[in-house]
Amino acid sequence: MDAIQSLGLGFSVALQPAVLWYAFLGCLVGTLVGVLPGIGPLAGISILLPITFGLNATNAIVMLAGIYYGSQYGGSTTSILLRIPGEASSVMTCIDGNAMARKGRAGAALCIAAVGSWIAGTFGVIVLTFIAPPLATIALKFGPPEYTALLVLGLIFLAYMSTTSLTRTLIMAAFGLMLGCIGIDPLSGHFRYSFDIAELGDGIGIVPVAVGLFGLGEILATPSHQVTGEVIRPKLRELWPNAQEWRDSGWPITRGTVMGFLIGIIPGSAHIISSFLSYAVEKKISKHPEEFGKGAVAGVAGPESANNAASTGAFVPMLALGIPTGPVTAVLMAALMVHGVPPGPSLVNDHPDVFWGFVASMYVGNVMLLALNLPLVGIFVHLLRIPYAYLYPLIIMFCIIGVYEVSHSIVDVWIMLIMGVVGYLLKKFSFDPAPLVLGLVIAPIFEMSLRQSLIMSNGDWLIFVSRPIAGTLMVAAAIMLAMSALSMASKRRDWRAQMAEEVKE
Amino acid sequence: MTLRSDHIAGAVFVVFAVAVFALSGDLPFGSLSSPGAGMMPKLLLVLMIVFGIVLILSAQASAPLAEIDWSDRNHALLVVLIAGVATTLYQWLGFILTMSLLVFTLLMVVERKNVVRAAAYSVGLTMIAWWVFGTALKSPLETGILGF
Repeated sequence: MDAIQSLGLGFSVALQPAVLWYAFLGCLVGTLVGVLPGIGPLAGISILLPITFGLNATNAIVMLAGIYYGSQYGGSTTSILLRIPGEASSVMTCIDGNAMARKGRAGAALCIAAVGSWIAGTFGVIVLTFIAPPLATIALKFGPPEYTALLVLGLIFLAYMSTTSLTRTLIMAAFGLMLGCIGIDPLSGHFRYSFDIAELGDGIGIVPVAVGLFGLGEILATPSHQVTGEVIRPKLRELWPNAQEWRDSGWPITRGTVMGFLIGIIPGSAHIISSFLSYAVEKKISKHPEEFGKGAVAGVAGPESANNAASTGAFVPMLALGIPTGPVTAVLMAALMVHGVPPGPSLVNDHPDVFWGFVASMYVGNVMLLALNLPLVGIFVHLLRIPYAYLYPLIIMFCIIGVYEVSHSIVDVWIMLIMGVVGYLLKKFSFDPAPLVLGLVIAPIFEMSLRQSLIMSNGDWLIFVSRPIAGTLMVAAAIMLAMSALSMASKRRDWRAQMAEEVKE
Repeated sequence: MTLRSDHIAGAVFVVFAVAVFALSGDLPFGSLSSPGAGMMPKLLLVLMIVFGIVLILSAQASAPLAEIDWSDRNHALLVVLIAGVATTLYQWLGFILTMSLLVFTLLMVVERKNVVRAAAYSVGLTMIAWWVFGTALKSPLETGILGF
């Protein structure tokens, strides 16, 4: 069956009323999750995860994925109107989006963000449609050394792209991988660091760690008296950008879309990195870099397109290789496995209705989001007017429900609280928690594939460079590592250091 | 010498890794051709020690420790304390009582809001959440000893 025929099958699934309803519900919840500062897509997905246990696999994954890409749309609203990122990937949109809003162009900024997100999301799904199935075929040739090399490349890529230092990123990744070692060793059955706590035998969950670090940690570091942002209310008739704004956003949307999708494919916090990188590129190549920070259209169009394309790109390794690229895709994979549908190379052949139904639902979901985000912006503005002092207790409540409901374990809630404190301290000492979470997410696959590779090669490390695919991936990782180390050793201020300064400002 | 944030951060990671290494005595490293349960954690702990030392040695680039702003520490401590108490009570008191008390206490103790407003908001919000998650979305919320 070729891709077009298969997509036809997908649409026959995605256009069923029940699937449409769950796609809409996911997009709506995702938009709300994105709009409200402090609740990321992970907390939103975690809260709704137990609800999906009673649904079939297609409805479950369609709804949960809708929350993920919907939150990328919603995050821009808060960034533009309040100058607070509703979602981590919207940090860069705050800078020029809010500056545009203060110039009376809030509607245009929202429209450009929404249209850019739609173009990027749709482009991402089109590419996913055509590359995921052949990639899955190639992935059938992947053995443990190739998986190990791919994950090493992901970690090094994250370290290279990080706005903090190489050492800080790698130490965070090592810490995350270490947390991932807690629990029963899958190969030997040894209990590792579980201290006779039964719940730790299964290991530390991704949800409590990520919700603690990103959700609670952020709240702990943000007392309400520091949140004094004024919400700018756009008028509906001002939503349409003028001709110059359209012209200024065309190429940034195109570049952000392609760049975001490519970054999304590589394991890491793709949607966050991609928006940072897109902003840096747009500023670098702009004829008027001095306008950045003062309401440059490209500063909204590029990052918003990039983060949406990346969130779609992240589905490629998840669906084709069975590799999570971050905490959100890890939870989505868990949701599929609950229904006896293992993501990976065999998904497209064994469960074509789920695979193609999911892909087709993303075409529909992106249209729904465009329709939701612009006309309903007034409602979202009302939500943003809730004072932060009343908002964060609600977010803490959601964090507790979300974490507890996944496996009804109070130990998980305690882990979330501890991770909240860790997240607060990491913020104080300028560490990025994203590599920690990625380390935790990939730890089981990484350890298994590393040990299997060594067993296969009778302890010869050359297995990671002597096989063509693994060798190529390792060479790419080594080049990136060398570039990062050189930049660190020469203390040269490259684009990453400049970006870190802009984020701090 | 000025004490900098990376001196402390690096030292914490080194101490943490050494302490966990000491706890890993019973985990077999195995051999390269037959790696044991302790291989991955021990390799990672060695890496953490190395990176921690690099962090200490390159700490000159980080901010002085005295410049870290801790003005939000009371807020953070109170929120963690209240959330911790709520976590302890959650399975015993159930969703409605625990969450109402959690939101009410945060509004009263941390935010110093008017008692009537705080009570109305916390109860109202919890009931809405109960209806949305428990009734509309059929998520199994904790009921507690009082049965709700």
